[in-house]
Amino acid sequence: MLQVRKVVKSFGGLVALNSLDLDIEDSEILGVIGPNGAGKTTLFNVVSGYFPPTEGEVRFDGEDITGLRADEIAALGISRTFQAATLFTALSVLENVFVGCHMQYKTHIWKRLLRTPAALREEGRLKARAMEILEFMGLSSLKDELAGNLPHGHQKILSASMAIATGPKLLLLDEPVTGMNETEIAAMVDLVRRIRDSGITIAVVEHNMKTVVNLCDRLVVLNYGQKIAEGPPREILEKEEVIEAYLGEKEADDVA
Amino acid sequence: MEVAYSSKGGPRSRVKGKTIASALAVIALVLLPLVVKSPYYMHILIMSGLNAILAMTFITMLRTGLISLSIAAFWGIGAYASMLFVMRLKASFWLALPASIVVAGLIGLCIGYLFVRSAGFGFVMLSAVLGMLIIVVFGNLKFLGGYEGIESIPPPDQITIPLVARVEFASKAPYYYLMLVLLFVTIVILRAIYAAWTGRAWMAIGLNSRLAESLGVNVFRYRLWAFVISSAIAGMAGSFYAHYIGAVIPGSFDVFKTIYVHIFAILGGVDFAILGPIVGSVVMTFVPELLRITKVIEPIVTGVLVILIILFLPRGLLSLFGIQAMSTHVGRRIEKLGSFIKASLGFRAR
Repeated sequence: MLQVRKVVKSFGGLVALNSLDLDIEDSEILGVIGPNGAGKTTLFNVVSGYFPPTEGEVRFDGEDITGLRADEIAALGISRTFQAATLFTALSVLENVFVGCHMQYKTHIWKRLLRTPAALREEGRLKARAMEILEFMGLSSLKDELAGNLPHGHQKILSASMAIATGPKLLLLDEPVTGMNETEIAAMVDLVRRIRDSGITIAVVEHNMKTVVNLCDRLVVLNYGQKIAEGPPREILEKEEVIEAYLGEKEADDVA
Repeated sequence: MEVAYSSKGGPRSRVKGKTIASALAVIALVLLPLVVKSPYYMHILIMSGLNAILAMTFITMLRTGLISLSIAAFWGIGAYASMLFVMRLKASFWLALPASIVVAGLIGLCIGYLFVRSAGFGFVMLSAVLGMLIIVVFGNLKFLGGYEGIESIPPPDQITIPLVARVEFASKAPYYYLMLVLLFVTIVILRAIYAAWTGRAWMAIGLNSRLAESLGVNVFRYRLWAFVISSAIAGMAGSFYAHYIGAVIPGSFDVFKTIYVHIFAILGGVDFAILGPIVGSVVMTFVPELLRITKVIEPIVTGVLVILIILFLPRGLLSLFGIQAMSTHVGRRIEKLGSFIKASLGFRAR
């Protein structure tokens, strides 16, 4: 589904991604792990068009999407969430999802302003769709709440709802369970599985190893912007270079 | 727009109350010339209406996160375009008005295409440059009358409104009604856009443009739309202004006018897209006149007032009345700025 080929991303002298090759297969849940600063979020940023890669190529469904703008990539069917629950805090939960539905609103702007029957029909359809998504994500009872007033766990779910509302084929989740308690994590894992079962391929960046092992079909381990291992979760975590990468980090932490 | 989908019982009655209040306000505004006879006060009323229109265009752009310093420039473009149509092409005012809307909109499209890409501070600077340069352009083009400007622009031709009256623009009252019509049209158009999905996209861009982009909103295109619509509306106000005053002088379209327009909107409350500009511009146009503040010290008084608003009333006058508005990023930013200044001045936080 997604092919990342020889992608380099450097910020000045810092090389965040170093000639990275990576594939995401149809309808899998891929986990991207690695120590801090390994380039996981940078990978998501490059794939979702947040910024273009310095070198290399990203192909999605056989199409070259390297260097496209974020909204163009979203239109092609890649959607993402952000590490910090990023929401329109001043809007209600439902309206946040409406913004996510925005792309599917095809009626021409003049027809929208004149409120023609076709435009109204389409608005009705999108409202129903937004409600459906909230229902699916278990947020429908909170639809009129201001997004900024939601507890952290719900905010995370809402930002995933908004990403789903764009109708993606590939969903990139950046640390979806950070800051959640055990119950919330279990609910989120279940939710992500159900999202995948609805036909959306998923890639997750996550620090919580237990979640990653539970959730993912396949893991890719990054270190210093390069892929150091790839395979089924349980195997991967026993590999020496992976343990080393993490232990190296631990030692550095101890010194600090 | 948040009201329409709400399942609660409350909002519906609030909508009804709002409708009644606006109907009453429209009737009061229509009947006002029967009470206010003095041409002087009529003039102030007309000017506050024009200022309100301009302040609304400021808020339109502000919604998408663009702070424009070129509002007066497009106001001027509308005024000059209208002058050219009427005086050089001998067109009727009633043709020149829509024509200048189109001209201002098209120039807005071209300039916006170049400017809107750089959001944030870059856009502020670019629009400031346009706001300052436009006077030089007006002043140095011979056929626009140079820095002295052009006088004796004819008033709008008389028109016959079927079944009502023959309107001649000889006194202030017809101008007042024309201003009301323009104001009303502006409000209807802007309200429709705010309530539609376009308005939500604007809001989303203003709140968090990166997030909006990641959800597939074409930030550039929506900002460009906001810029074009604002420019066109400002051009409309400019066309009216040229024929109302009967002259166009480059100096009246300078960047300070834009800053005043910003102040009108902030005084009323930037969270109130329609009512804020109206309240702000009426207060800011009337109070200095009533207090007989001379032009010399007016900037000082205005400056002090702005600082006081930011410090003690960051959400604007309307927030005093407890009217509910969607809190926008700009409103919050002004509030933050106020508390920051307060803290640095040693005020205790409440």
